[in-house]
Amino acid sequence: MQCNDIELVLEQEGLEPLREEARAHLAECRDCRNYIADLTSLVDAAKKLPSEITPPDRVWIALQAQLEAEGIIRTPADMVPAESASWWQSISAFFRNRVVATAMVAILIAAAAVFQIRSDRVTPASDARKSVEAAPAHVLQEVPSGEFAGTAQALNDQEPVATGMIFASNSPVDASLRDNLKKVNEFIADCERHLKEQPQDELTREYLSAAYQQKAELLSAMIERGRSIN
Amino acid sequence: MCLRMMEMTPARPGTWTKRNILPVLGAGLFLWSAAPARGAGTGQNVEKQFKITGRPVVVIHNVANGRIEVKSWKNSEVDVVGTQSSNKVGFDIEQVGDRIDVTATILDPSAQPLELEADLQLTVPEETELQLKTETGLIYVEQVMGDMKLESYAGDVHLKEVSGYIIVKTTGGSLVCTQCAGKLDFSSIGGNAQILQPQLNNVNLMTTTGNILFDGDFVRTGLYSMKSGKGLVEVRFSSTDSFDLKAQTATGTVDNQASAFLKPDSHGVKHMASKFTHGLFGTVGMGLAKVELSSYSGTIRIMKRD
Repeated sequence: MQCNDIELVLEQEGLEPLREEARAHLAECRDCRNYIADLTSLVDAAKKLPSEITPPDRVWIALQAQLEAEGIIRTPADMVPAESASWWQSISAFFRNRVVATAMVAILIAAAAVFQIRSDRVTPASDARKSVEAAPAHVLQEVPSGEFAGTAQALNDQEPVATGMIFASNSPVDASLRDNLKKVNEFIADCERHLKEQPQDELTREYLSAAYQQKAELLSAMIERGRSIN
Repeated sequence: MCLRMMEMTPARPGTWTKRNILPVLGAGLFLWSAAPARGAGTGQNVEKQFKITGRPVVVIHNVANGRIEVKSWKNSEVDVVGTQSSNKVGFDIEQVGDRIDVTATILDPSAQPLELEADLQLTVPEETELQLKTETGLIYVEQVMGDMKLESYAGDVHLKEVSGYIIVKTTGGSLVCTQCAGKLDFSSIGGNAQILQPQLNNVNLMTTTGNILFDGDFVRTGLYSMKSGKGLVEVRFSSTDSFDLKAQTATGTVDNQASAFLKPDSHGVKHMASKFTHGLFGTVGMGLAKVELSSYSGTIRIMKRD
């Protein structure tokens, strides 16, 4: 048996048990012995790896942002505000029955439609714009809308976790991270506001998409920092 | 005073002994108690040299506060000098083939920021690949040829006479790139980018709130993209340059101070700015390079160098 045959045997039959001829060759061939030893150690190392590795949240967030930016996926425009999630969850848990749930959804849709019609009549567009402009950045980021709604929501959910992890730190790095998060949030709010007024503005959309990606990376950096200092 | 003391004859030997020994003991005690603090505050150096057979890859991860400086020499060796402000920071340095890994780690998480300073000074062969990551403190690289990825949260990055595919990523740190060649990617949230006297043929600069300055020649057939969300994007070109220019802003302004040199597009393509943006299109020379400038709400300034 030659070295090439050993490779073939390994490919077809695996590492063990090796055939008599193969063992005889190994006894004489140092290269093949080393080759087998390398393979064995690789297999051992692979066995020690966890069966599933969960990627960090930022991977999903960045992926979602990218897919939304490219128009491959779209999230519903009407998102439930973050602060309403808890009462919404409790209601949905309460109405387990499908019939009741369907009726409930129908009522909610009807109520939302009536509310929308009324608010359109009462509030002129310019007043609505003024109220949006006057609102502070943190309020705007809590009520995301439009095609980036899903990304915005996911990031806003992550934000308190990330900032909380470096909250007590007074190091210049953490101060810088907090300062830059504020800058990104303000920029996002500005772009969201502008895009609401001019939904066809592609340049603003590009900037908004990039800003969301930067925010995702920044939150991830804050979480990593927080883990290292706590 | 000492002589006078020596001349004095003590009334009682015991008193004399006490008087003279006590200050000595006191001083000794003071020095002994101060010794650990002094050790923690004094710089300690670590120096190692590594022989290299090919083109080395140097990977540095500095989680402490400090400066990373990389310069080159003709030797086939990598020299690493680490300086730490206290024993609460440690260096792990190892060589695996032609890869050198340097990690500055925090040994005592309760240490104060001043105790967590660790500077690294490297001398590498001219052709070296770099991957440097730091949190705060300057990254300085001079006269190194090779691909490099430089990441920092709050620290600035200064590059001088480097070439290759250069990736710089910061959160708040700024980039100053002087006489750089090759391809450059820069992204930051609050950092500025200054590109001076470049020989770069592919440039991608993106900052959310920082400013961008490009002062130098556009290489023929080069591609240049410079974007700032809220900051100023300023380009200074020379009359011998040859490029097509596209400048766009959503809510900002385009300040064209070189209108005499910008002609309408000479390639027969009629550009139209989107109705939602303010745009400027033009050609300098034959329009061989492609330059795209944009800002969401900042100013785009186009100037010709004297």
